Amino acid sequence: MNITKIWYDEFRTVFHDIGIILFVVILPLAYPLIYAYVYTPEVQRDTPIVVVDDSHSQLSREFVRKVDATPEVAVVAKCDNMDEAKQLIERQDAYAIIHIDRDFETATKQGKQTVVGLYCNMMSMVYYKCAATACANVSLEMNRKIKVENYLRPKTERESEIMQAPIGYKYTSLYNPQGGYAAFMIPPILMMIIQQSLFLGIGMSMGRSREQNKGNVIPLNEYYKHSVEIVLGKMLFYLMLYIIHALYAFVVVTKIFALPQLGHYWDFILFIIPYIIDCCFLGIVLSYLIYRREDCMLVFVFMSLPLYFMCGLSWPGSAIPDVIRYISYLFPSTFGLNAYMRISAMGASISDVAFEMKGICIQTVVYFIIASLIYTSKIRKMLRKEA
Amino acid sequence: MKEVISRIWKIGIREIKIFSHRPMYLFVILIAPLLCLIYFTTIMQKGIPVKMPCGVVDEDNTTTTRSIVRILGAMQNTDIKAHYPSFSDARKAMQRGEIYAFFYIPRNTTEKALASRKPEISFYTSDSWYAAGSLLMKDLQTTSELAGLAVTKASLEGRGVPSSMLMGILQPITIETHPLSNSTLNYSVYLNNIVVPGLLFLIIMIFTAYTIGYEWKVGTQKELFSIAGESSTIALAGKLWPQTLLYCLIVVLIDVYFYKYLHFPLNVSLIRIICAGLLCVFASQALAVFFFGIFLTLRMSMSACSLFGVLQISVCGFTFPLTAMKPVFQYFAWLSPLRHYYMLYVNQALNGFKLVYAWPSIVALLVICLLPLTMLYRIAQAFKYQEYKP
Repeated sequence: MNITKIWYDEFRTVFHDIGIILFVVILPLAYPLIYAYVYTPEVQRDTPIVVVDDSHSQLSREFVRKVDATPEVAVVAKCDNMDEAKQLIERQDAYAIIHIDRDFETATKQGKQTVVGLYCNMMSMVYYKCAATACANVSLEMNRKIKVENYLRPKTERESEIMQAPIGYKYTSLYNPQGGYAAFMIPPILMMIIQQSLFLGIGMSMGRSREQNKGNVIPLNEYYKHSVEIVLGKMLFYLMLYIIHALYAFVVVTKIFALPQLGHYWDFILFIIPYIIDCCFLGIVLSYLIYRREDCMLVFVFMSLPLYFMCGLSWPGSAIPDVIRYISYLFPSTFGLNAYMRISAMGASISDVAFEMKGICIQTVVYFIIASLIYTSKIRKMLRKEA
Repeated sequence: MKEVISRIWKIGIREIKIFSHRPMYLFVILIAPLLCLIYFTTIMQKGIPVKMPCGVVDEDNTTTTRSIVRILGAMQNTDIKAHYPSFSDARKAMQRGEIYAFFYIPRNTTEKALASRKPEISFYTSDSWYAAGSLLMKDLQTTSELAGLAVTKASLEGRGVPSSMLMGILQPITIETHPLSNSTLNYSVYLNNIVVPGLLFLIIMIFTAYTIGYEWKVGTQKELFSIAGESSTIALAGKLWPQTLLYCLIVVLIDVYFYKYLHFPLNVSLIRIICAGLLCVFASQALAVFFFGIFLTLRMSMSACSLFGVLQISVCGFTFPLTAMKPVFQYFAWLSPLRHYYMLYVNQALNGFKLVYAWPSIVALLVICLLPLTMLYRIAQAFKYQEYKP
């Protein structure tokens, strides 16, 4: 019975405080849209590059034409020398220079290797990747043709095809077929928003009760006597609210922005409930450190980025040093981001994310015990003060 | 003039006293940025991820295919974690997050290759792990390419082509990439140069809004205003100078750590990039004051600063290019100190280009620094009449 009262109290506190509503209602609804909107172009196309063609041959022009025709880059200028090209780079009118040697065509005719130089401004890996991919693909394609036409001399069309690539290959990018940026950035961000907004919301409501109850985290009345009930009552309110947010992220955001959607509802529900509970309990534990309601913004907001890098999605987990990996096991986001990514974008079932689920469950139990102990000691202190 | 300085000094000392009672302040503005600095440089200490887990499905399992797999295993980025009996096993392993990519060699590949029947091998990456997927893709593609070239090489040798000519025939055009100023494709250089200042600017914005709004929260705004002689300029200047000194110190520390200790590429003098950092610190503070002037409440101005500060890390364009984003973000980026820091860093520290190409960013930063002037009157009114709203 007390749990329902505490649940209702938390409900009333939150919905009477516009500051907390901002964090637990508006933020989880608006942020996913903003982020998805930022990243929806998904891919970089037609990165501007310049060409310095010292060869002026038919073959070099073919090379340039083919590079220009790739989706990744667009040749915006042809310069006579490298200095001229460099100026365009300095002005950021172009991000890479392709330099074709004087002996480009003659060397290939003589059966020698020729080198095409690709100079890239390293301000963004995306530009570099575009330019490098375009050049590599064009050179591979032309190499095949040169090899067959000049040296292998096939007799039939089919033979020429086979000679070009005696062993063919096919590349498939799974789970993010267009190689989109949003598809890999947004799903983890959705889960990060849930965790961070829970920390902020719980921290603010805790700060509010401290300010209203003269430094006490809970009001002095008969309902708030058992720490387990307090922790559960608060948690239930946030669980109820955040299931809506989670479904919104899983269904609406994913649909609006056409993100990969392979997950099953059942797997998602099985994952998201423990995750939200886990975040709630850790939120309660952390909010113990918060004295004033605005303090939580100072502490929690900047944490999202380090936590995001910790989880091993954008920076591969295999490259994360062990120390940081162990620290990362303290946060629900590490498991939550990975599990959600795999469930929603890769169609993993709950048994495929067993490791993450174990992590979440262990955390839930541990943080529940810590949160309860914190409240027990608080209640004792209050009773002593009263006496 | 003397009086003005003494007022600013007095408010500053008052501010330092407030600081000394709240250890959390020190944590937020001093320890947190330095922790981030150490954290991010540690997590990326290897520079580029190497030897990432990759799977192999070799249904053919002949000497030829095994040698292809050995070539793959010798690649820089690939660590062959496991062999799987079938395609779906490998896909399952990917869903469990054990491997980022796998290589698939179907049955009869060798036989078909020998009989000139063009077998097809394939490889799969999971681009849910973007960096890992694209780095592995490069290795897998090279291996596949080499597999075909090995067959051609054997047939050329059979025709008696001299070995000195083989490479010229197999690979007439080679691409030599020169990643300027970051030749090892060091991700630590690429990301940390922006992420760490980005977090610092975020903290600065939130904390600046916090310290100003704090006066209303504890109800001392009128006291502050009277010490300042009823001038919001003096009140703000006095309140902000102690923390500004700390921020400047942190910027210097970060830059010395990056460029002198970790030897990140630096093609201009250290002073220049420190100056760019300081200018952005002032711009971040100015924006926070500006936001406070707009909302005049602690909560809203802090929220606006958080939103802005977090968003500018995405919108500054160092991961996904700004030029590919929607136009609204390209306008937004003009207001972002981090965007301009990024432009200045690229122009100066990374490439050592002429400063003249970066002047729009400097002008924009100066304009941002002047934005609070438009809000001074509003803030003065708030000092006089406004009470704290939770």
